[in-house]
Amino acid sequence: MRHPAFRAMLAGGFVVLAAFAISQEAPTGDQNGSSQQKPYQNMTTEQRAASTRTFLGLGPEPDKAAAKRGEPLFQRNCAFCHGQQARGATGSSLITSDEVLGDDHGEHLVPFLKKGRPERGMPEFATMSDDQLMDITEFLHLLVEDVANRGTYQVLNILVGNVAEGKAYVTAHCMSCHTAQTFAHIASQFRSAEQLQRGWIWPTRGDDSLSATATVKTPDGRITAGRVAQVSDFRITLVDAAGPTHVIDREPGVEVQIKDPLAAHQELIMSLTNDDMHNVTAYLEILR
Amino acid sequence: MKLANGVFAAAATAALAVTTHNVPHVFLDPNAIGKDPITAWTTFNGDYSGRRYSTLTQIGPGNVNQLVQRWVYKVTGIGAQRGAPAPVIKCTPLLVGGVLFITIPDHVWALDARTGNPLSHYDWVDHGGHLIGQRGVAIWKSSVYFLTPDNWLVALNANTGQELWRKNYADSRKQYFSTAAPLVVKNHVIVGVGGDAMDMPGFLDSFDPVTGELQWKWWSTPRNGDPALKTWPNETASEHGGGMTWMPGTYDPELNLLYWPTGNTNPVFAGQGRPGANLWTESIVALDADTGQLKWYYQVSPHDTHDFDNTTAPILFDRVIDGKVQRLVAQAARNGFFVTLDRVSGQHLVVKPYVPLDYYSGLTPQGELIPIPDKDPTVGGSINIVNATNWQAPAYSPKTGLVYVNSVEGKAIYYLTDDSKQPSGYGGTGDAIGHGQRVLQAINPLTGNAVWKHVYPNLNNAPTTVGPSILTTASNLLITGDDQKNVIIYSADKGQVLWHHEIGANESGGVITYLLDGKQYILFGAGDSLYAWSLPE
Repeated sequence: MRHPAFRAMLAGGFVVLAAFAISQEAPTGDQNGSSQQKPYQNMTTEQRAASTRTFLGLGPEPDKAAAKRGEPLFQRNCAFCHGQQARGATGSSLITSDEVLGDDHGEHLVPFLKKGRPERGMPEFATMSDDQLMDITEFLHLLVEDVANRGTYQVLNILVGNVAEGKAYVTAHCMSCHTAQTFAHIASQFRSAEQLQRGWIWPTRGDDSLSATATVKTPDGRITAGRVAQVSDFRITLVDAAGPTHVIDREPGVEVQIKDPLAAHQELIMSLTNDDMHNVTAYLEILR
Repeated sequence: MKLANGVFAAAATAALAVTTHNVPHVFLDPNAIGKDPITAWTTFNGDYSGRRYSTLTQIGPGNVNQLVQRWVYKVTGIGAQRGAPAPVIKCTPLLVGGVLFITIPDHVWALDARTGNPLSHYDWVDHGGHLIGQRGVAIWKSSVYFLTPDNWLVALNANTGQELWRKNYADSRKQYFSTAAPLVVKNHVIVGVGGDAMDMPGFLDSFDPVTGELQWKWWSTPRNGDPALKTWPNETASEHGGGMTWMPGTYDPELNLLYWPTGNTNPVFAGQGRPGANLWTESIVALDADTGQLKWYYQVSPHDTHDFDNTTAPILFDRVIDGKVQRLVAQAARNGFFVTLDRVSGQHLVVKPYVPLDYYSGLTPQGELIPIPDKDPTVGGSINIVNATNWQAPAYSPKTGLVYVNSVEGKAIYYLTDDSKQPSGYGGTGDAIGHGQRVLQAINPLTGNAVWKHVYPNLNNAPTTVGPSILTTASNLLITGDDQKNVIIYSADKGQVLWHHEIGANESGGVITYLLDGKQYILFGAGDSLYAWSLPE
């Protein structure tokens, strides 16, 4: 461990592209944090879905209006064998089927549905109109989209914790740094319970009060202090209170002391249990 | 997706011949493939072992501070590719006969290794698939093998860049996509595949290098009454169980075994529809190189529910233990465990976490970890580690006996977004939370313990999915980089920083080294540029 003191104190970090951070790679292909695109987390649901569609090369977008018309037709005519979500019942899953995935907008599926597959027990749907069959087709494509395009995914109701136990946890673990004022109306600061859960565990460094700060002593005895803009093995960039930026090479003899106000939260993250997380979120959610 | 147009477009741009002096001639004797890399770099990992170790010593601790940049080749004229704003070189270059071969998705260049000047450029027209990365080509005699994002194996004439033939091996409409570098072993071009959006099964294909005919196919999940089906609820789940093969494996010529890492299980985060260990996803598998027959497996992440995609290189090396030479394979896995196995039998010697984690309750008698169900993704959220490393190459030095890996320590909240009995696709999300810290580790593969670590200071999170690869040399150098555009050379034995240099982007592909005209070069991709360094004239 070459920088043990540093390590203990530095818990910096800004979450960009969070939903992709742990899948194969980030959608922008950007590697240096200088993305020109909007951070994934700040996108609307539609933007997220479109961005992921492009990124994954997911073919044409389903026609949602047609899919909506097609849903009741599917449920009446197809769901009995293929399941309400088309993921298979007595019949096969349609989500992963060659026929569905090989089709863009009904050009293969509509004629296929008309004929059916009598040899395998699938009836023909010759009496349905082309428009109706097209609507069913679009509904199937939308179901595929809901699976393949993870930009469309939404968390479910994450409020699964126990309020009283959450309150007890906050009382026991948080009050050495925080006061009741920190938590008053905290839930109203977030758009959703998921944002609240993320936000209390790892607050956004929106203002300078949560920024890492450093004191740098150079061999000539000069001391520079300020907010840390960035630090590497070889350089530290500080912004001091008056505004100027100081770039200091970390040459031999340069001493760097970094303090991170979120260090305690980083420690918390490394040991927090799921129950404690759920309980605290459930408790904070009622503080509106 | 209509291919006809692409054929003409590709042919039109395929041969951009630029000659300045004597045209180098590329011919790689099949018997030379996978040998110690000295004047050539013939496979993704340099040799077959995955060690990424060079015996060259011209550049050493005493003169490393004299390194100078000899040339830079910048990828230009490509622009934004679908979903990727700027080209990033994620390949490991190959070097044969004084010619370097580099790739990005849809593109292959042959460069004159003396100048960095392009000799030919092959441009595949985008017809779909995922343009996330391209790890490089394989070479056999005078043929170059390239995988396209939409799963075509393309054979090119190494000396002209002209297409010889192409073969489609997977359907991009099923969300299969390809980023891999093929691996040539004897007369086999071994091709892996990626793509986990649609619950498709992984496989490994072997093609004839001359005709492109399929020689064998190995599926990553069991079929047809195979006993391994007992690790799945039913055959349908197994047939849709994932296990992609998107990183090149390694090969032991004496045992004639391929060692291949298999990717994550499908559905990815929602495991409730597939109770069981889910073989042979998330494993190291040993396959007969001539038949694709499975000899043994070791499952690194039984019943994975965290996209622990087991794709890091299985590194092969021999060690004397209790007076006996042991043939070993070691892997720093993405699930945070370091494993060392006997590569003849697959028996485990070491299974140990190398990052802080708490999601397992113990090991089975076979040495496979037992995950704690409470750590699976849930509707309310579940905290677990981020991937402890990714596709970026680790290394092993026979001089130090250590395995080197750029790891990441950090956590994520995993949500189950599909709690139905029949989940499909990812079925959940994982969002990193807190600080993700990059740590370079030198691990003793006989104990699993780090002998030294280097924590890279950084206010930003380590990008867990793009990161610096590693190379070691016989002169005790370890060459890698940080996430702040610095190329860094360490002493391999102690982890002391010997030299660093800031370049235009983070090191993004594999680092290689070779002797050309008697001079040792260090070569690597960073962002859109390929950098060549050596000692001054």
